[in-house]
Parts: sequence; C-alpha cells; structure tokens
Amino acid sequence: MAIMMPASDQAVLDRRDAIVAALRAIVPGEGVIDSAAEMLPYESDGLMAYRQPPMVVVLPDTTAQVSKVLKYCHEQGIKVVPRGSGTSLSGGALPLTDGVLLGLGKFKRIREVDFDNRVVVTEPGVTNLAISQAVAHAGFYYAPDPSSQIACSIGGNVAENSGGVHCLKYGMTTNNVLGCEIVLMSGEILRIGGKAAENSGYDLMGIITGSEGLLGVITEITVRILQKPETARALMVGFAEVEAAGECVARIIGAGIIPGGMEMMDKPAIHAAEAFVHAGYPLDVEALLIIELDGPAVEVDELIKRVEAIAQGCGSTTCQISTSESERNLFWAGRKAAFPAVGRISPDYLCMDGTIPRGALPKALARIRDLSAKYDLRCANVFHAGDGNLHPLILYDANKPGEMERAEAFGADILRACVEFGGVLTGEHGVGIEKRDLMPEMFSEIDLNQQQRLKCAFDAQGLLNPGKVFPTLHRCAELGRMHVHAGRLAFPDLPRF
Amino acid sequence: MDTLNPRDAKDVEDAVRAAIAGEQPLEIIGHGTKRRIGHPMATNAVLDLSALNAVSAYEPNELIITVQSGAPLDDVQSLIDSKNQQFAFEPMDTSVLLGAPGSGTIGGMIGAGLAGPRRIKAGGARDHLLGAHAVSGFGDSFKTGGRVVKNVTGYDLCKLLAGSWGTLAVMTEVTLKVMPKPESERTLMLAGLDDVAANRAMTAALGSPYDVSGAAHLPGSVFGSSTGALAGLGAGGRAVTVLRLEGIAASVADRAGSLGKALAAYGAVEMLQDDASAVVWAGIRDVEPFAASGARGLWPVWRIVCPPASGGALGQALARGSQGDVIYDWGGGLIWAAVPPRPDALAGPVRQQVEAAGGHAMLVRAPEDIRRNVDVFQPQAGGVAALGQRVRHSFDPKIILNRGRMVRATAT
Repeated sequence: MAIMMPASDQAVLDRRDAIVAALRAIVPGEGVIDSAAEMLPYESDGLMAYRQPPMVVVLPDTTAQVSKVLKYCHEQGIKVVPRGSGTSLSGGALPLTDGVLLGLGKFKRIREVDFDNRVVVTEPGVTNLAISQAVAHAGFYYAPDPSSQIACSIGGNVAENSGGVHCLKYGMTTNNVLGCEIVLMSGEILRIGGKAAENSGYDLMGIITGSEGLLGVITEITVRILQKPETARALMVGFAEVEAAGECVARIIGAGIIPGGMEMMDKPAIHAAEAFVHAGYPLDVEALLIIELDGPAVEVDELIKRVEAIAQGCGSTTCQISTSESERNLFWAGRKAAFPAVGRISPDYLCMDGTIPRGALPKALARIRDLSAKYDLRCANVFHAGDGNLHPLILYDANKPGEMERAEAFGADILRACVEFGGVLTGEHGVGIEKRDLMPEMFSEIDLNQQQRLKCAFDAQGLLNPGKVFPTLHRCAELGRMHVHAGRLAFPDLPRF
Repeated sequence: MDTLNPRDAKDVEDAVRAAIAGEQPLEIIGHGTKRRIGHPMATNAVLDLSALNAVSAYEPNELIITVQSGAPLDDVQSLIDSKNQQFAFEPMDTSVLLGAPGSGTIGGMIGAGLAGPRRIKAGGARDHLLGAHAVSGFGDSFKTGGRVVKNVTGYDLCKLLAGSWGTLAVMTEVTLKVMPKPESERTLMLAGLDDVAANRAMTAALGSPYDVSGAAHLPGSVFGSSTGALAGLGAGGRAVTVLRLEGIAASVADRAGSLGKALAAYGAVEMLQDDASAVVWAGIRDVEPFAASGARGLWPVWRIVCPPASGGALGQALARGSQGDVIYDWGGGLIWAAVPPRPDALAGPVRQQVEAAGGHAMLVRAPEDIRRNVDVFQPQAGGVAALGQRVRHSFDPKIILNRGRMVRATAT
C-alpha cells in the first residue's frame, strides 16, 4: 500500500477479545462481526485498490447504540471508521487494522415525509434514490443524483457532499440538507438545524457536510425535496474539436442559460460507451456534449432553440434533439454507463475527479493527452462540463508490474494540473486517502492547520477516521498553541497604517 | 477608540497579532452599516477594512467574481449588473431597517448572511461563497475553498464564515458565485387572506412545479406604517399575498397562468409585471414596513426563521400576543416581527412561541440598552452551544475578533 496509514496501536490489538465482548454488550446479536471471513466485504470501499480488514465491524441500529459505541471507544482510545454503503471512490471508509468499522447500514428507515415543509427526515442508511422514490407519487424528488444513487446512502452523501449531473442547476448535497442528528466521538448526541431554512448560530450543518466522517457520526438527516420539472429534453451535440465543445459550454453559460445538466465526453469515452449501450453516439467526433434543459414545455422548447443556435455557431458537426422520454434516456444511457463501459475495455481503471474553471478545459485536455503519452497509459474523459468537474478514467492493468503505480502518478499529475489551472483536487469524490497526500498542492500548512483545529473542536483525541483527508496528523494541543511571530507579540501597541 | 486602516492582508495580520499581544479585542468593520446588529461589543479598537476594496477578478463566463472584502456592495452589484448577472440570494440592504445609511461592503454582506426572498430557490449567502482568504484570531492568513463551484477539497470553512458576524476570522478576499439575471419577472397577487390561509396558499405555490422564486405575505395592518413602494399595494388596509415567477418571458407567462389556476380557491389573482414586480420584492427584502424612518421605526424587530408551513399560525400568535405587526417571507419560513417598545423586547414570550414551532429568533433591531440585556442571537441547547464555542476557539482562542457580539459577555 503506497499510502501510509496511522501506526496501529498494539495495546488496542492485544485487547481485541475484551473490546469485541464490550461491543457485543452494547450491540447484541449479529450486530458485531469479528470473524475474518465475515469481515471481508468491509475491507474496502469504492476505491478497491486499497484493502484492509478492520479489527472488528459493528452494525448498530439505534442512535443510543451509536452513542454508547463511540463513548466506549473514546474512553478506551480506540479508533473508529464510519461507513455507509461503501461506495466512496476516495477511500473514505477504508478500515484501520486497530479500528472499529462502524457501519450505518441498519439505519434504513425514512422517518417522516413532510410535503408542506418540503422536507424528508431520514435515517442515514437509506439510499439516495429511495428518497426520491418515497416522494415521487406527489411529484417531488431529491435533487443531488450521484451516479451511484441506487446504492449510495444519504449519510455517505452528507459525509462526502456528493454532487451528480444535475448539481449545476440544483446544487450539491450541502445546498439541499437542512439538519441532522449527529453523535460526536465522545458519544454526545446533538441536533443541528431542522426543518427551517437556516440554523441559528454558526452553520454547523455546513461544516459537517463534506467532512468525510471525521467530525461525527450522523444518525438522522433532514433533506429538502423539490417538485419535478414538468418536462426535460436533451440535445446531443458532436464537435470535430474539443476546443469548439469547450467554447460552446462557455457561450451557453454566457448567454444566461443554466441547463439542468451539461456533460462532455471525449472520443475514447464516446467509443467505449457506444460499444456498451448502443445509444447512437456519433463515432467520428472528438467531443460530445449532452445538454439537458428542464422546466415548463414552452421554456424548454425555447431554450433548445437557443442552445442549438449557439452550438451551430461553435461549429457543431452533429446535433440530435430528444423528442421523447425514451430518446432522452438513451442519450444519457451512454454517459451514465461510462464507467462500466470503460471497465469493459480495460482490466482496471482509475477514476479521477478534479475541477477546473470551465475556460481551462481545452488546456486541461491537452495536458492530459501529453501525460497519457508520457505515462504510456490510455485515458478516457467524461466531464461535468457545466461546472468544470473532470473525470479522467485512466486505463491500466494491475497484473502488469508497475502499471498501477504509473496510473496513480498519472492521476496525481492531472490533479496538480487542475490546481495549476485555478481549480481544485476534488469536485465531488472527496479527499479520503486517495488525494490526501496531494493536499499540500492546494493548501499551505497554515491552511491545513486551521482545518485540523476545527477537527479538534469535534474530536479532540483524533479517534474518528484518522488518516483520511490530512497528510500529517498533529496533536490538538500543538495546533492550539499561539506561536510568537518574529517577536511581534512583544509589542503591546496596535500598529498604524 | 483607535481605528486601524489596513491596506492589505499583511496589514490585517499585523493588526490582529498586535491585538493578541496587547489583549486588545478588535471590532471588525467594512462601512459599519450593521454595527447596530448584535450585542454591544467588548472591544477597544476598530479594524476598518474599507481600504481593501479592489475587484481582483470578474469572470462572467465562469459565473464568479473575486473581490476584497471591503469592496462596496453597491459598486460590485453595478459591475455584475452590467453583465446581466446578480447575487442570486438577494442580499438584504439593512439601511432601511436600521437607518444607518449605505448598503455596506461585500465582507459585511457575507458576515451577516442576510438573504432575501429568493433564498427559497437559490439558497443563502453560504451557498454563494466559494472561497475566502481570511486572517484568523491566531493572526494567520489562511485560505479555504476555491474559485470553482464544485469543490469538496477539505472542510468547507466558507459555510462557517458566512453568517459568523466577524467572530471567527477577518475575511480579506472572497470569491462569490454570480448568476444570470432572469429575463423577466411577474408577481401574482392574492388579496384579503388571513395569515394562516396565506401560509396555505404559499405552501401550495411552493409545492407546485411552477418554480416560485418569492412567496411573501403582508397583513393589512402593516400598510398603515409603510411609506415606500409597498404602501400602494394594500389599499384600504387589505392583506396581500405575493408570489414571484422569473425566467424567460414565455415561460413566466405560461407558469403564471398555471399557478393562477392552481390557486383559484384563494381568490382572484392580480398581476404585477417586471419593474412593478421588482420594487415590491426589494421592499419585502429590506423590510420596508418596519423602516427606521416609518411609523414602526422605534419598535424592536425580530427576525424569525421557522419551518415554513408553521409560519402563518406562529406569526399570527406573535402579532396578537405582542400587539405588534408581522410580515412573512420565504413562504412563511421567515417572519419579521415588530413589537411595541418594552425593555426586554418581549424576548421571553417571543422565543417561547418560536421555539415551540421549531424555529429560532434573532433580535435584529433594538436600542443598545435592550441589546445589552437580551440575547440578540437565539440561545442554543447546551451541547450545540458548547460545540459552537469550541469552533470559535479553534479560529480565535483569545476571542480577539468582535468579542461579545454574538454571545453576551456578561450573560449569567
């Protein structure tokens, strides 16, 4: 394993039998798993190149049990790794040898559907899609739609601040959650926010969202639901050059149009997807845009015309416009199946997740082409073009010595380029362990120390999901110390400017 | 009192470090338009950021603008307006309510986080702050977030900075999301509904697929005290419920027709178009009926955020119980309540009713002596309050920044 995880605590491992017994006293029956065979499914999450059996798996089904488990581990100095459905692509739920893996899979109940306040109160183990399904009969849905929405849990979505193809118009998880019940590492149970539009005091819901399981364990979530748009139609537009497709995206946004979704695929991705789902994608183009417009029919019809004109102005070579739901779904089928489609043409692939300013797209794709030649590995690109979120898929074969390391180095170079072009290391998959050691590319030590001090406010002993997000672990006491800056603290007078 | 006028982020660092060393807490201001919000502070020097007023980068096609925190809000709004863009969360202009002239700076807009009517659709200030450079109470410049919308790299400290009233860090530069201005707008108006019926009508509208971007209710009693653009709406003291639709003209017309039909049970619908519609929403955003210059100008004002469907009943009870006036925004989820002058601004009964409805209340306007003795911000449950204080200490362990503004220094 190339990523160093925190050193395991032999004293904890020596007490394993006693720890398992204590956990069984809290979570009876099948809720504690300690046999090697039964723990196998928990060894990794969606970042499958990394595997590690935990010390023990605990699957509580009440908030009180979660609280007691955490309180016990807190008192005993035992590390805890929370896990939802295990679909994280950044290794957020990778277990620790000396850690308890705390699975929230039994929190499967939707507690309340409140159409008048347009919210759903749910347990964290409910899948993203199940929330939309529970309110569909009244015309509502939950907007963020990560491509793993059949399987991924809403608790995991909050932990990772998940996005999806529609977040250009409807926002990410953070823009669609209102409140939660959270258990701190100490076992303390807190309620943050609720059905009101805003919390009082500091926006703790905002900081919990996207904290990758390092601040607390969420046991209930209140999400906003929206009415489904009346209609949705999509355009599928091909371009002979990537630059022209990039320009088309910029001009659509510049014209004041915010599509429901705007996706781009490059030639390798188009070919892989077409071979897999036969969506009728043009094979002689360098870039394909799928642009979805939603709203009342008159609005969608008008915007389709405007977007078509913009695309022609940018030199599009093909343009198909959906005339039925089945046709629209077919346009999307290839894009949505892009990852498995690429999986068919390569034994292994690595999915990256950087964001760049939209305008830097041609530059970024040119850089990826150069890197592909340098590392001698193929790369297919799918791209949430509307919000600048790149998903390069690096193809490799783990059975060939050195290829995985080369693929990882290629991926790291892509993310460095994203930062160089004014973007960020991760748009929606999270830092986890995957991008942990790249954090200094984007943040200074001071920036990271401020983030870790915040972690200390929630978990002073650093027991919750350690080894994720931050490349260097510091003790809270050390972070809290006020440093003397070049003797300046000696001056009692305020400066004048 | 000393006033410090830093010219750049380095000067801000120096000022904060000296303040730490001298144990002299700083009041952080831009133009000082919101100084009357919050508790009187235990600070003995002012850090005035108005010289940090540059627009660092405006990229309309990327839908972002990067500005220094002391940049005047009016200037920045004019700039983005020239490209037909706006801050979609409709930041409130507090000058109407507080009587302090000027709409302030970008830093003040974010620090206060007071969003207008479109919050129900577009979110609040917190949803539009993409990145920030700030100086913590350690005297260190740090950055968080970035210059792109889609970003989950590290903790989202922007969410904490928005609405923190300058108590966590001194923002020096921020990157904000800007959005295209809608091509047209139309307001549907229902007359004569009581607060509870109006709440139901707004709930129906917001639960419809017609993409309502503003839902407010003005009871008849407030028009007597209103002097601005809203005064004309409530002719004869009638209550008015307003619902806003925005977008391309054909879509707005189509949705207005459909929404009017869906609300037929609530009475006849009147329409306001474009400019006539816009002034109404500006008046609601800035709480014109309770303007400092108006008949209710001396009354304390509460800003109450609650589950939207319970707003009508809550507001009605508050108005009756206090002999005061209320107006509703966010479909009932935001209530502005003006209460007759009393030494405690009726904090006890107001908070009791608001908490029972699952909401929270902030005393947004009151004379200094009341703000000294009453919790301006909603007191929180023990564990959450303690966590909030630990969060504060993680940014500002010596409580150098805006000491005493959010939590009463002398609270017993």
